[in-house]
Amino acid sequence: MEDQILALTAELAVVKSAAQVTNSMFAEAYYYLTIPLMVIIHAGFLLYEMGQTRVKNVLSSGIKNLLAFAFTIITFYLFGWWFYWALPTFPVTSLTAGMGYMETSGLAYASAIALPWGESAQYMGPNMGDHASGVFWGAFALFAATTASIASGALIERIQTVGFVICAIVLGSFAWVVAAAWGWHADGWLVTEFGFHDFGAAGLVHAVAGFFALGILLNLGPRVGKFNADGSANKISGHNLPLTVTGLMLIIVGFFGFLMACIILPGEGWSWYADGGATIYGTPITLSALAFNVCLAASGGIIGAWVFTRDPFWMMSGCLAGIISVASGLDVYFGSHVIIISIVAGMILKPCADWVEGLGIDDAVGAVTVHGTIGLFGVVVLGVFGSGIPGLGAFAPEDTVAISLYGQIVGAVVMFLLGFVPGYIVSWLVNKAGMLRIPDAVQIKGLDAVKVPAQAYPESMVSAESDSK
Amino acid sequence: MGYFIESFTELHADGAWMDMGMYIGSGASFLGMSVTGWMSLVASVMLVAILVKGNIDEQDHYK
Repeated sequence: MEDQILALTAELAVVKSAAQVTNSMFAEAYYYLTIPLMVIIHAGFLLYEMGQTRVKNVLSSGIKNLLAFAFTIITFYLFGWWFYWALPTFPVTSLTAGMGYMETSGLAYASAIALPWGESAQYMGPNMGDHASGVFWGAFALFAATTASIASGALIERIQTVGFVICAIVLGSFAWVVAAAWGWHADGWLVTEFGFHDFGAAGLVHAVAGFFALGILLNLGPRVGKFNADGSANKISGHNLPLTVTGLMLIIVGFFGFLMACIILPGEGWSWYADGGATIYGTPITLSALAFNVCLAASGGIIGAWVFTRDPFWMMSGCLAGIISVASGLDVYFGSHVIIISIVAGMILKPCADWVEGLGIDDAVGAVTVHGTIGLFGVVVLGVFGSGIPGLGAFAPEDTVAISLYGQIVGAVVMFLLGFVPGYIVSWLVNKAGMLRIPDAVQIKGLDAVKVPAQAYPESMVSAESDSK
Repeated sequence: MGYFIESFTELHADGAWMDMGMYIGSGASFLGMSVTGWMSLVASVMLVAILVKGNIDEQDHYK
């Protein structure tokens, strides 16, 4: 009998070990697969941006977008990832960026796991005992690249390539990362002190990127020919609206990957729980909740936009706006909340974009409105509907602050500032160095003819001949 | 800089490879700095140099 118990115990240990390996491999594969899904966001932004560009500038827009992706990811590896783990408590709960309650933050912790040198490097490269760091880093790196792509579209046809890349690095590997540390980490001071909740990153990705773009736009100025002497605006149509609309739809496809990467899976050493998924705050969430709410939000946004416009560009932008408007509370909204909020977001989209244009700001793709304004709208609306929901999960301190309208407004203000201020300052510096705006004569001739040794449509469409080597 | 072992057999038998960096230069240092640190420094310098060169070329195009 005793031998049988021993044998069964040994077999049980083997089964448990095998189950753990399966769980670990599943979790690793889950996050790994969010990465190519998020690359689809970039395929979408590439098409969207190039389609919105005139033929004479189309390849330059593509190059700018590709370089933003590449430089953001590499710099996020070199230092951006470190900021996320180092700054959650700084400067509100710890002036010295000390470790927070969950013991996964602070200068010492970040330096131990998130730098590509020294002892920390073992978590930044091949390591058979670490199935998490790489895939988490990959998902965050794609979030970072998304912020750069969001800003990229607003600036087309007149921003210099290297100047833009510098701005993109500051946005993707610093500004939004600070926002994530403060508002998207269980130790983040916006979360612990104000109950800030932004499950799907409406504020810390979309609003930060949208208002970072606004900061650049103020220093960059409009495209040649956008505004008349009396201040009235001219419509500058892109060369391929079907390309743009298809790109927007691909961004929606990628959003499903983006949002599934926001779930913390169960059963691992780094998990919140052994038996269920959680948000980054440790609050409950399922993929089923996302399936309901993301599909409804995309549809509501299209319908809302259709109320005021019959333009497919703005209807697809409404689709994006619908998802962004509910992103903060995708984990807690009921489907009918989502329908109402996303339709309203779609409805206010075009009037808000017209208002920005009326201020003399040439946002070529409406990024400031779609991502910035609607992002903040989404953050604040959660405060209206979701006040009183616990801000952190089951293992949080007893005095955890709940979600509130006040906390969401504080978060919205912080997100606005974290986008606009760095965007304005870095673009001001780049402008002073003569690296921001492309000379008007070059804009008139066409950027591709001046600096791209290729033609976008050499056989079927009129495209200025390149004299670049 | 090389790799830190010649065979994985002993490492696997000890269960050692379950919690260590298993890449070229792991655990090694040069002139008081980790090899990974040197590699990251070189990569960073390359990025900056490429941006500088890219900007010089771009300004030439606008002349």
